[in-house]
Amino acid sequence: MTTETRAPLIEVKNLCKGFYNSGNHMEVLTDINVNFYEGDVAFIVGPSGAGKSTFLRCLNRLEDATSGEIYFEGVNILDGKVDIDRHRQKMGMVFQQFNLFPHLTVMSNLTIGPMKLQGLTKEAAEDRAMSLLRRVKLEDRASSYPNQLSGGQKQRIAIARSLCMEPDVMLFDEPTSALDPEMVGEVLEVMRELAEDKMTMIVVTHEMAFAREVANRILFMADRQILEENDPVNFFENPQNERLRAFLDKMI
Amino acid sequence: MSLKENLYLNFIKDDRYKYLISGLGNTLLITIVAVVMGILVGFLLAYIRTTHDKTGRWKVANLFAQVYITVIRGTPMVLQLLIVYFVIFASVNVPKIIVAFIAFGLNSGAYVAEIIRAGIMSIDVGQFEAGASLGFSYTQTMLYFILPQAIKNVLPALGNEMIVLLKETSVAGYIAMNDLTRGADIIRSQTYSAFIPLLMAAAIYLFFVMIFDSLVKKLERNLKNSDH
Repeated sequence: MTTETRAPLIEVKNLCKGFYNSGNHMEVLTDINVNFYEGDVAFIVGPSGAGKSTFLRCLNRLEDATSGEIYFEGVNILDGKVDIDRHRQKMGMVFQQFNLFPHLTVMSNLTIGPMKLQGLTKEAAEDRAMSLLRRVKLEDRASSYPNQLSGGQKQRIAIARSLCMEPDVMLFDEPTSALDPEMVGEVLEVMRELAEDKMTMIVVTHEMAFAREVANRILFMADRQILEENDPVNFFENPQNERLRAFLDKMI
Repeated sequence: MSLKENLYLNFIKDDRYKYLISGLGNTLLITIVAVVMGILVGFLLAYIRTTHDKTGRWKVANLFAQVYITVIRGTPMVLQLLIVYFVIFASVNVPKIIVAFIAFGLNSGAYVAEIIRAGIMSIDVGQFEAGASLGFSYTQTMLYFILPQAIKNVLPALGNEMIVLLKETSVAGYIAMNDLTRGADIIRSQTYSAFIPLLMAAAIYLFFVMIFDSLVKKLERNLKNSDH
């Protein structure tokens, strides 16, 4: 671990998540403690059912944690009195299934947030949206509807839609898992550029090669916990945890 | 009696056609007001029910909505109309047409509520999450993202509810409202000839049902074009 003196952007303390399934208590996350800093490109990898997506979704409270604290920009967002909607504006999220709004054009998908939530005029919102559409190389699809796009295009629009709120951190929940193989590259390309532009990113993924290439930190989750974290080189070359070694062996 | 004489007797003599005209006016007026009321009541109930199902809030309001929907859907329209007229407004002098507005509007609301609720529940949970992740509140997410899609999905069912309502107003005669059906029946009782006035009333209902139907279909097509 590098010695960090800056205040973390996200500080997770003793995060637990469980639920009751036909009377039995099922633990999904057990006592997670981790910090994320501005500029971090943190990848979370691990076997299915480890709790990676649940953990990510706890960060913007799409899932309710059972106990613990999550400080985002200094505010404990698990506090019931917090206006979570306001903080979510600063945390973009990209979903596996894109979740674009099918009844709105690509342009409106991008501009509705800034216009309704940040009070931007239509012109200002469209200017911002257009520069983002250029960034994901889809400026010619502004007036299309989501159902007219390919999966890769949808996901690039979904990324642009989140960026249009000018968030301080971007959460990616398996952004390429629902894509045909030939479309994975175009989405990863956008994410790579985002990382190069110093966007803070937390990414849950199965794209190990991409993680190794882009991440500055990789976290290994299994058995409801973060079992190991390291820089990409040591993560792959010098894994300490037994579970991680087994996991990496299966990957290659 | 020839057909011509029959038509003369039933519609022209003593200006009997006026029973149908004024009856039709009342039928359409009751239908339109009840449709608007039904949609307002239906939206409110559906919003309460789905908010409860999705967030766990509003337990008391949800219970009220559930009881309301169950009672309205579980009892005959005619009885509801009679109860509103003879029980609820028994001691107050309220115009019959207002009674009809209220009885049919409240009745339609229960059915519209279930239609809209089904529409909202059919929208993928990912749409709620996408709205939330951008920072929209639950209410804003409903308004901007969920309801526009839900209503489009249930438009055929809502159109059907309108048609059912138009025909169901024919029981307004039970509280001596002069609607289309009663108008035809009054003519029948005066002329002792049932065939012509009743068939004419049926044809008028059919005509308006077909107009409603084509309007809804047109709306559906428009929404489809603007979308995919």
